[in-house]
Amino acid sequence: MAIPGAVGASIVDYTTGFPVATTGAAPNSDHEAAAAGTADVVQAANSRSLFVSALPHDLLEDLIITTAGGYHLLRLVQTEFDSRLVLYVWLDRTRGNLAVARRRMQTLVNGLVFH
Amino acid sequence: MTTSKTAAPARLLSQVAGERQTGALVVGGHPGGAVYVLEGRVIYAESPAAPGVGELLTASGRLAGRTWQNALDLGTSTARVGRLLVEHGHLTQGELELCVLGATYDAAYFALSPANAPVEFLGGATHWLGPVVHIDPAAVAREVRRRTKLLDEIFPDPRVDTAIVTPVPRPPRERITLTAPQWELLVHADGQRTPADLAQLLGRAGYPTIQELRRLAALGLLELPEVRPPDVPEFVRLPRARGTAVDVRRPQIRAEDSPTVPVIAGVRPAAPGRPPAPAPAPGPVPIEETGANGTVYRPPRLARRKPGAKLPKEVAGEAPPAAPGTDEVLLKRIRTALRALR
Repeated sequence: MAIPGAVGASIVDYTTGFPVATTGAAPNSDHEAAAAGTADVVQAANSRSLFVSALPHDLLEDLIITTAGGYHLLRLVQTEFDSRLVLYVWLDRTRGNLAVARRRMQTLVNGLVFH
Repeated sequence: MTTSKTAAPARLLSQVAGERQTGALVVGGHPGGAVYVLEGRVIYAESPAAPGVGELLTASGRLAGRTWQNALDLGTSTARVGRLLVEHGHLTQGELELCVLGATYDAAYFALSPANAPVEFLGGATHWLGPVVHIDPAAVAREVRRRTKLLDEIFPDPRVDTAIVTPVPRPPRERITLTAPQWELLVHADGQRTPADLAQLLGRAGYPTIQELRRLAALGLLELPEVRPPDVPEFVRLPRARGTAVDVRRPQIRAEDSPTVPVIAGVRPAAPGRPPAPAPAPGPVPIEETGANGTVYRPPRLARRKPGAKLPKEVAGEAPPAAPGTDEVLLKRIRTALRALR
């Protein structure tokens, strides 16, 4: 896996909570439940919080959830057509580096769409 | 090769997938759709209720309509429209795959969610887009079931999914908060458009559109199509039922009334090209014109006037639905209410 410390990753349709593609491990070994949870978090950030709409076109980019043992990173996949996807990466807290992971995820998302 | 029956589309899909068949599973009914399988794997799905890859890419402005049309012209016969778009540098492989994947799951929901529908499997059929993704049919079927459940958790009323979208004129609370997609839907709901129309118009996937509409319905912001108990069906149903009923009857009435009219009506389509036609026309022209215009709007009005002359009192009360304003309905309701008071 290209991101150091990554335990698992998936691409999730955040309107339905459907894991479009998964790799590696998921929390509780359940990618579907993780995807549903991911979708809930993105929906909440997008529609129920005031952070996202402070300025016009100030769109949600990524979300980072930190737990004692890991980082959970969610990065929206921006496509010009209507796709509503988010990339989720579960990072081991001791082996992973948040800054590196964020940058790699950005590259990965761009690669997903632009290659 | 062709099986035609009324069955659960999802079950037939798993059957043809189990036999590793190639072809199109065509689902009738409303909205219906088609699921394309290649050697037992789902490669695409389409439905009138879900914008296809072309609509998604052009409505969003990602591709110019001309670019898409060119790819269709070049690649349809050989089923490589998708590959051509990538080869010509209009789309990246990633974009194409994500778009096809999204559109396929979206349309599959509409095609496969009915418990019972006329289903037909056209063996050997392929889609002009060409194989871009290969999805496990079991995953598609599972996702369809999950999506059905999700909708019912939001607001358990499937009428929202197909009925014309009518926002309530006055919100049921002082303050409402809308998401951007919900705003888009309400702004474009013109009292004529169905959820499928709105999805096509906005270039939004069909399922998320329905999801938002169910949320709006749950908030009480949509008027739900009336389901009336049989004893009070008149107020809302009369205008519609009459329109269709009269349309069907009309040719019969005319044939009985005056044989000349059908004869002239029969001549008419050919008449504009012929020089002698104007000569016989003048006499019956008014009738003819109402006939020509009436194919859409006028016949119901004419047909209502005739019985109206015979039964002035009752029909005077019923005639207003011809212009289906809420005022008439309201008046009638008030009258009934007053009568009940006595």
